[in-house]
Amino acid sequence: MKLLTKTTLNFLSVTLFIFLFGIVAFYFLLRIQVEKNVNFELDKRKSSIITELESANPQNRIPPNPNERIIIDVLSENDSLLQYSYSDTLMFDKISNRYVPFRKLGFVTDYQNQKIYVQIFKSLEGSDLLIVRIFLILTILVIVLIVSLLLMNRITLWQSWKIFYDTTKKIGSYDVNKHEQFTLNSSDITEFEDLNRVILSMTNRINSDYLNLKEYTENASHEIQNPLAIINSKLELLMQSGELKENLYKAVFEAYEASNRLSRLNKALILLAKIENRQFPESEEVDLSSLINKQLELLEDIIDAKKLVIRNSISPDFSITMNPYLAEILFINLIKNAIRHNFEHGEIIVEQSTSSISVSNTGPEIKSDTADVFKRFHKSSNSSESLGLGLSIVKKICEVYNFEIVYNHDKMHTFSLILNNNHQIK
Amino acid sequence: MKILIIEDEKPLSDSIVEYLKTEGHNCEAVYYYADAIEKIELYEYDCAIVDINLPDGSGLDIIKRIKIKLNSLGIVIISGRNSVENRIEGLEIGADHYLTKPFHLAELNAHLKSINRRINFSGQNEILVNEIKILPDEHRAFVKEQELKLTRKEYDLLLFFISNKNRVITKISLAEYLWGDFMDTADSFDFIYTHIKNLRKKLLKLGCEDYIQTVYGVGYKFDLTIG
Repeated sequence: MKLLTKTTLNFLSVTLFIFLFGIVAFYFLLRIQVEKNVNFELDKRKSSIITELESANPQNRIPPNPNERIIIDVLSENDSLLQYSYSDTLMFDKISNRYVPFRKLGFVTDYQNQKIYVQIFKSLEGSDLLIVRIFLILTILVIVLIVSLLLMNRITLWQSWKIFYDTTKKIGSYDVNKHEQFTLNSSDITEFEDLNRVILSMTNRINSDYLNLKEYTENASHEIQNPLAIINSKLELLMQSGELKENLYKAVFEAYEASNRLSRLNKALILLAKIENRQFPESEEVDLSSLINKQLELLEDIIDAKKLVIRNSISPDFSITMNPYLAEILFINLIKNAIRHNFEHGEIIVEQSTSSISVSNTGPEIKSDTADVFKRFHKSSNSSESLGLGLSIVKKICEVYNFEIVYNHDKMHTFSLILNNNHQIK
Repeated sequence: MKILIIEDEKPLSDSIVEYLKTEGHNCEAVYYYADAIEKIELYEYDCAIVDINLPDGSGLDIIKRIKIKLNSLGIVIISGRNSVENRIEGLEIGADHYLTKPFHLAELNAHLKSINRRINFSGQNEILVNEIKILPDEHRAFVKEQELKLTRKEYDLLLFFISNKNRVITKISLAEYLWGDFMDTADSFDFIYTHIKNLRKKLLKLGCEDYIQTVYGVGYKFDLTIG
């Protein structure tokens, strides 16, 4: 839930709560006040009626009020229960032809030695109308107040938060690889200004760290390759010298082999680091069918040596948008993996569907946990020539492009590359 | 050939000089950018082996200077950097080959041989080794004037052997020369063996001496002293 929505909801629930209770309380208070008022008037009227009855002077009669009715009954002895009382009632009004609310005051008095029961009715139509109007005006006023407050609140908040949303959008699309100047809009809100300042100093730090790391990767590669080159060349010279005994010769060759492996390992680790650092940003449409055919051709010798049967059903118009160099590395590693862990006279199947591509091969069962196949330096065979980095490189490349790589084993070992929506095959 | 070696790692430079001297090349080694520039201005060379990262400058700048002075000079870059961009940049400014460290001396030698052919025998160009004749421009090989029918790989293999004749050639350097980076996971060298077996069979069939000797566990040797 957005903060703006949350504050609005809180504001609305509190004001509506107060408003509803207030309005109800107000209504009842108003009613009580009006009732008191009417009662007071009725009392006044009562005293005037009593005075009138006592004087019995027709001239003193108070002129009849259209809002008022007076009923006088002679009481028998039995009706002694009737008392001085106020009450509400409805009476039929002949003029408007409907029932109208009245306030009634009933009291007993003496008239010419007779007890009489006098009821004074006072129409409440006017005061009811007044209550309703006051109530309406007040309600409208309060609603207008709430709505305008709400609007003002929203507009202010929206304007202030615009900077915040802008900042989050920019951070979301921030890519340290793009090397572009990272700027944020300034805000008149201190908190957002603080946030921007912190983010800017953070991105600057990330940038410089990233550049340092890149430099380090390059330098490390160079620095390690140099001594390796020396070792290799010296060992090669030793082997050429012809002065070595056979057992020494073998030892030198093994050292030579090991230094070669170390160099390949170094290269593979640098490649992994480079992929992790997203140092292959350019991408273009890569024709997968020709890429895979080319690679199968390159590996033909190894395939022939193992007498493998290749079934390649990639259609010629199959292409994918990614870095061409990474595409090459991705598929060569998958295919090499399928060749290495295969039987002689085995089979490799390269297949496609609309959103995935899979490389399957026959081969011995994997003894260890199948989830470990993508881990660095995981080797299922004890072949010393294998570095155990091929599939981690595959996995890394997939992470860069948000592809999913899945391994499953059912008769054949299958690696399926599931492409995401942005990389739908055309 | 007169070769200038510009490499700041002295032990590596020494190895290169030693290997190339036995090939009959005249080698000079410098370890700094400034010295390299001076040598280039003062003397004439057929070929230069250039390291990109020098303590006081870039090997690429040296190559640019060389190319201004003498465009036909052969250039081999040796670099610790293995990125595609570096490779492309080096070849674009006129280098003949780009070798990533660590490289095999045999491979460097094979590249120098091809530069040598380009410089010294432009046009009519043939390699004669006892009864074997190779026409590198046409990718054809002959034994006693009879043409050898070789596959592309077998031809490359023969050329590599002849470039490094009488030397031990490790199967690792062979594999990397013929298959490049794709060989980095070779489980077995069986298929190299297959190619060599076929090449040897074809050579023997035309009456060639059996020069290809197996050095057990290490590799092969194209031994011309046999005949």
